[in-house]
Amino acid sequence: MEELNMWLDFPIYASVAILCWLAASGLFLSSGKKVMNQLAAGLSFTGTAFLLIFITILWLHIQRPPMRTLGETRLWYAIFLSGIGLATYLRWKYKWLVSYSLGLSVVFLIINLQHPETYDKTLMPALQSPWFIPHVIVYIFAYALLGASSLVALRNLFFKPTEKTITGPIQMADNLVYLGFSFLTFGLLFGALWAKEAWGHYWTWDPKETWAFITWMFYLVYIHYRFRHPSEHKRAMTILAVSFAILLICWFGVNYLPSAQNSVHVYSE
Amino acid sequence: MSNENNRKTWAQPWSYREGTIVTAAILLLGFALQAAGGGIVLRVAAFPWNLVAGLVFLALLISAFVLWQKHQVMKWLGGVKAALPAILGFTFLVLLMGFVKQDVEPKSALVRLLGLTHLVKTWPFILINLYLMILLGIVTLRRLTPFSLKNAGFFLNHFGLFLVLFSTALGSSDMQRLRMNCYEDQTEWRAMDNSGKTVELPVAIKLLNFNIDEFRPKVTIIDNQSGQIVLNKGKNQFELLDRNALDLFGYHVDVEQFLESSGKVGDAYFPVNEPGSAPSAKVKVTKDGTEISGWVCSGSYVNQPEALKLNETHSLVMLPAEPRKFSSELHIQTKSGKNIKTTIEVNRPFKVDGWTIYQLSYDTEMGRWSNLSVLELVRDPWLPVVYFGIFLMMAGAGFLFIYGKPKNGGTEHVA
Ligand code: HEM
Repeated sequence: MEELNMWLDFPIYASVAILCWLAASGLFLSSGKKVMNQLAAGLSFTGTAFLLIFITILWLHIQRPPMRTLGETRLWYAIFLSGIGLATYLRWKYKWLVSYSLGLSVVFLIINLQHPETYDKTLMPALQSPWFIPHVIVYIFAYALLGASSLVALRNLFFKPTEKTITGPIQMADNLVYLGFSFLTFGLLFGALWAKEAWGHYWTWDPKETWAFITWMFYLVYIHYRFRHPSEHKRAMTILAVSFAILLICWFGVNYLPSAQNSVHVYSE
Repeated sequence: MSNENNRKTWAQPWSYREGTIVTAAILLLGFALQAAGGGIVLRVAAFPWNLVAGLVFLALLISAFVLWQKHQVMKWLGGVKAALPAILGFTFLVLLMGFVKQDVEPKSALVRLLGLTHLVKTWPFILINLYLMILLGIVTLRRLTPFSLKNAGFFLNHFGLFLVLFSTALGSSDMQRLRMNCYEDQTEWRAMDNSGKTVELPVAIKLLNFNIDEFRPKVTIIDNQSGQIVLNKGKNQFELLDRNALDLFGYHVDVEQFLESSGKVGDAYFPVNEPGSAPSAKVKVTKDGTEISGWVCSGSYVNQPEALKLNETHSLVMLPAEPRKFSSELHIQTKSGKNIKTTIEVNRPFKVDGWTIYQLSYDTEMGRWSNLSVLELVRDPWLPVVYFGIFLMMAGAGFLFIYGKPKNGGTEHVA
């Protein structure tokens, strides 16, 4: 076992999760029966639980928090997104949202299956801090919540809703954004406090910081726009979609920007 | 909305149109000033002038608010229609920073003239910050009067951000960040600032001992011809030498002996512990029934690295070990008479007399045999105010988390 690359077991866990989630989405979308919905919720939970077990074993095995590489953050994202989908279903009974978020989680797992990781146990001293775990977890949680809210936006941009059918989903988007934005704020501020301990300054406009700040500003625009124009749904949904695009640049795109060479935040592949 | 389209610009009540014009004018004015100044890097005045300027700003803001509270323009300044264009204008500048690498030599005359590589120290950035602070100040004052506990979350978010912007802007000139090179057993009290100027400090530091704790080194496969690391599906593949057997690229590697610190005698390595000794490992590599054994060593500033040739195309190499932790034992004496022995490391700075001492770097060439420790000394007297703002914002985020969107959807306070 020792010499086995831990990620070698990943396809097993990932396949189980993918199967559970696909079955759950299918059941959610096809059946109106209460028992079937309960079964779907159970399956969706099982998929998430399997990944949680995997990431726990991985964490113990590599002896550092598995939050350093893009593959590792995708894994967390799949876990949180599926969990949030299920939680919103249990809270508000939005079947389409849980199906979408399970679908998106499946996509993240498939990306990980196609790009197997070689894991790296070393962690540079600056990252060895009590701030590391809260900072990353809070951020990925925020990303997952905001990702779920962008699903609402996409749905509304594509399936031209009426005044009547949009009120429910847009309230849900607002709830997700307020939650996600509060996490984003915590992530940003934790990052600042940590940077002060590690590098002597709380904000250095490092490219990742800059993009995280831009992302934050866009969601700030959404919140203020919605506050002032509660009934202009279409434009609000566009702002939300654009904000998510910015978030994706911040998460994946920064690595490829010329401004980002030598950033501490650039995840290794 | 329909009369909004017919409304003449600058006729009351102002809307997004005026908001956009004002924000754009501020940005244009900023860039014009920047270009007119020949692209100089700006600095806010140092203590006590920044404090005076800050107090004057606060006094003007509050009296203007009290005097013209009922004025249409004041209402507009405290509303979303001025705020959104301002936030977007600021975002535009930050986006520029996201694309143009900061704090480097500008590549073209235009970039230099507009200050695009040092945006945070340019006129447009400072002016838009000032404008945002004015808006934030006014919106905070508007919601404070009359006072209502219902606005607590709003107050924490907006006033928190106001404080952070206010104190970082004014404090930037009082902050000192210096680099100090400490050699073992020597006392140092001089440090260098960003521009390379030497500064004498009220703190003298003697480096008693510099320590590096390293991870086990990694091994990888290189191409004999090019000397480059062989890529696997576009990625480097490394393995940490922390176990007895590992697989790399279809090669099976058995680690027969690992020496943390070694020197070469004849054809083999033996444990030694003197400056420049490096980790090494005796390995047996098998692939398709062929077997090769020998030593690999990562080398150091005195010793050559040693690779193990596996066949015509590939060799096994050991990479230099990466630091797990580095720390400095310091003896600190201050002008105020303090006499302290302490150890600092990355993420564990030490505070004395308003200075915070950080472990920054060392002589990476010499690795764990470095007798140089590079420290960073930071003095940031405005930090408590910044932190206070940050904590207000955290509390505000807590409110957003708990209460979410206001139930009336904002119709109550619309401006
Ligand atoms: C960047 C500078 C900002 C400006 C200029 C600004 C301005 C405004 C304005 C004018 C309103 C409408 C208030 C009213 O009409 O009574 C508002 C509302 C709001 N703002 Fe901001 N804001 C800023 C930053 C923030 C930040 C950083 C947050 C959160 C962390 C935030 C969260 C909110 C919320 C949640 C509301 C809705 C009002 C409520 O909850 O009662 N704003 N803001």
